[in-house]
Amino acid sequence: MKKTGTILQAVFVLALAVVLTVAANAQEVTIALGSEPTTLDPQLREDGGERAVNDNIYETLMARTPDGQLIPGLAAAPPKLVDPQSWEIKLRPGIKFHDETPLNAEAVVFSVKRIIDPQFNSEQISFFNTIKDARKVDDLTVQIITDGPDPILPSRLYWMKMVPPAYAQAPRFAEAPVGTGPYKFVQWNRGESILLEVNNDYWGEKPAIKTVKYRFVEEPGTRLAGLMAGEFDVITNLLPEFTQQVPQAIHIQGLEHPIIILNADGGPTQDVRVRQALNYAVDKEALAEGLFEKYAQIAQGQLLSPSFFGFNKEVGPYPYDPEKAKTLLQEAGAAGATVELIGTSGRWLKDRELVEAVAGYWEAVGIKPKVRIFEFNEYLNRLFDRKTRADAIFVVSSNELLDADKSFSAYYRAGGIGSSNSDADLAALIDKARSETDVDRRAALYHKAVKHAHEQAYFTWLLNIEDIYGVSARLEWPARVDAKILVQEMRLKK
Amino acid sequence: MGRGTYTKIMLGGHRRERLLALRGLALELWRDKTGFMGVVLTAALVCMALAAPWLAPHDPSAQDLRARLKPPAWTVQGTWNHVLGSDHLGRDVLSRVIYGSRVSLLVGAAVVLLAGTFGVVMGLIAGYRGGRTDNFIMRWIDTQVAFPGLLLALIILAVIGPSMLTVIIVLALNGWMVYGRMTRGAVLAVRQTAYVEAAEIVGCSGRRVIFRHILPNLTSPLLTLGILEFARIVLAEAALSFLGLGIQPPATSWGLDVATGKDYIFRAWWLVTMPGVAISVTVLAVNLVASWMRLISDPQEREKQFARQVAARKRRGRGFPVPQEVTPQ
Repeated sequence: MKKTGTILQAVFVLALAVVLTVAANAQEVTIALGSEPTTLDPQLREDGGERAVNDNIYETLMARTPDGQLIPGLAAAPPKLVDPQSWEIKLRPGIKFHDETPLNAEAVVFSVKRIIDPQFNSEQISFFNTIKDARKVDDLTVQIITDGPDPILPSRLYWMKMVPPAYAQAPRFAEAPVGTGPYKFVQWNRGESILLEVNNDYWGEKPAIKTVKYRFVEEPGTRLAGLMAGEFDVITNLLPEFTQQVPQAIHIQGLEHPIIILNADGGPTQDVRVRQALNYAVDKEALAEGLFEKYAQIAQGQLLSPSFFGFNKEVGPYPYDPEKAKTLLQEAGAAGATVELIGTSGRWLKDRELVEAVAGYWEAVGIKPKVRIFEFNEYLNRLFDRKTRADAIFVVSSNELLDADKSFSAYYRAGGIGSSNSDADLAALIDKARSETDVDRRAALYHKAVKHAHEQAYFTWLLNIEDIYGVSARLEWPARVDAKILVQEMRLKK
Repeated sequence: MGRGTYTKIMLGGHRRERLLALRGLALELWRDKTGFMGVVLTAALVCMALAAPWLAPHDPSAQDLRARLKPPAWTVQGTWNHVLGSDHLGRDVLSRVIYGSRVSLLVGAAVVLLAGTFGVVMGLIAGYRGGRTDNFIMRWIDTQVAFPGLLLALIILAVIGPSMLTVIIVLALNGWMVYGRMTRGAVLAVRQTAYVEAAEIVGCSGRRVIFRHILPNLTSPLLTLGILEFARIVLAEAALSFLGLGIQPPATSWGLDVATGKDYIFRAWWLVTMPGVAISVTVLAVNLVASWMRLISDPQEREKQFARQVAARKRRGRGFPVPQEVTPQ
């Protein structure tokens, strides 16, 4: 008898729980991502899936408004330069991690030292390679010391997530994260979903959405079907072809720039006329309007968006002029030359299609493109191969710091991880700009670098792709220029 | 009787006899209407692959980004310029289907042939020899089955680079095990039969027993398996090529076009449908041919067919109203 009583009780509790969950669903959103996080350690990998989740759990000292303005985050005010190589940061008082430990100077110093530790071997280190050390001044004040003057340190801090010192050393840290953000980690069903719930003690504005569920769906078609069926509220990387079919399509000028790195040190592309011809040969407008259905802008002859620091307004795209391309190739004696073009498939929006389309244009002006689509790992090996550079390598560069330094150090500067030139003048300009603290002089240096690289045609500049999200009818969400998916900015329509 | 004809067809000694056997084969093919259709279809597909440059209305890699995703001619917005529509880069789908047949047919046939031959030989040796040889071959197969195929593909890619040859090698290396296992099983079963024992007692060499007495009994399961594998391989090639391990643009294959067209299925159904139909038609044609070949090559099937013919003749002789063809059970 007693046993039946317990069972009945259990059933009742279960039923209540079900009713409660259904009620809670009204405040729950489901976000479909293309890839599952490889870890939930916020400082280790350079992984889009991890970032999409952890951007809601962790916070940074500096933050950005949806339109890209840099504002203080965990810091009480923007960092102050106390001497050319140290920045002082005051923290907001009273902020706690989800495990009740305080966010204080020790936590910040720990976080900084953790991510720059060579032993830790963080993949995000390219964002922080100027930071040398961090030191505590008082309980809420920290100094960050850089290697030479670093004018864009505040932008860099916008990328560094703060972790709790004690818990970050626990083995569970990588799978059950604890941050200061508006959402707390609840559960991770590997291969399927991650569940977050709202942090009621959050220091900032209280979010409207109570629970967030992330689902991992690789196929764009499946994500689209899930959105149409009402299963998902937000899907990432919607194909431009389907913006008319989804309830809401949000698009913003993204940070992604597909370009083709041309080898200036060898092969047929050694001749500047050939490199220019490869630029004249491509109809960028047709790519933007055809392939991307107008959800892309033509790159302005530089690896920067107009909103980035260092953008040079006086430099524009090479016009589409196949006749001029043919003449230039004739002059250079490179008509009929074979150019190896390396690309990959499935990593970026329409990557394979872009490479095939460009190869088609090159063929039309009398180049023999030898297209090689590699599996992603092998592709990375070729992209970062410093010894033998392929004639032309397709890459999509994404610049989250919104500053020329990151893109230029990687692709423009001789010896950068993906550069194919040995132009000492250009490298000197970039190095000088990196540690120039005067904003106008720094901008002028970048303008010069942009113009020089454009004349030398070190790249075939293609497009600036927009980020497109598919969003359910019930959700309101102002998408951000930095492509972060912050649930605290979402709300359900009444 | 059945075995006799078979031997004669396959091994007809003199020229006249061989000619006669060929005529007999052609007659048999004409009688089996579905088999005949299969052969005609297969021949047509092979001709299409060979004559691609003359048949295709456009260059398969000629793109026109401003005329992309045009539907097939018979739909409202279609044009006769692109009979089967155009793809996501504005290339002609019909021309791509015609050219794609080259890679798909070649890879499919080459892999089935390579993997099949090697697998069958291994299976025959394992099954016939038994003991340590058997153990060794079967463990080898187990090990290779456990080895991830993509990893193997990556290793080979690093050594010889992506090409059609890479695809053939990778798929053959990765696909022979199933033939080996099945052959071995069948050999073990056939080995116990009286005629194999008789052949051994008479003093036939091992090779003769294997190829003359055991192998013919395996043709029907092997043909069935080969056909199933053919279809799988056409798609496996697409998966490898899509990842960048196989065919490189501007060359294409049916499977690759299905894989790249998949993303557009809600907007442009013809991108996957056309090469998909081509794959189905090919598999169907090869299937029909194989089922006919199974009928004429399997000793037991021939026995049954012969019995049916005799029965039908007898019934007709007695004046019974009988249907034209007696369907097999």
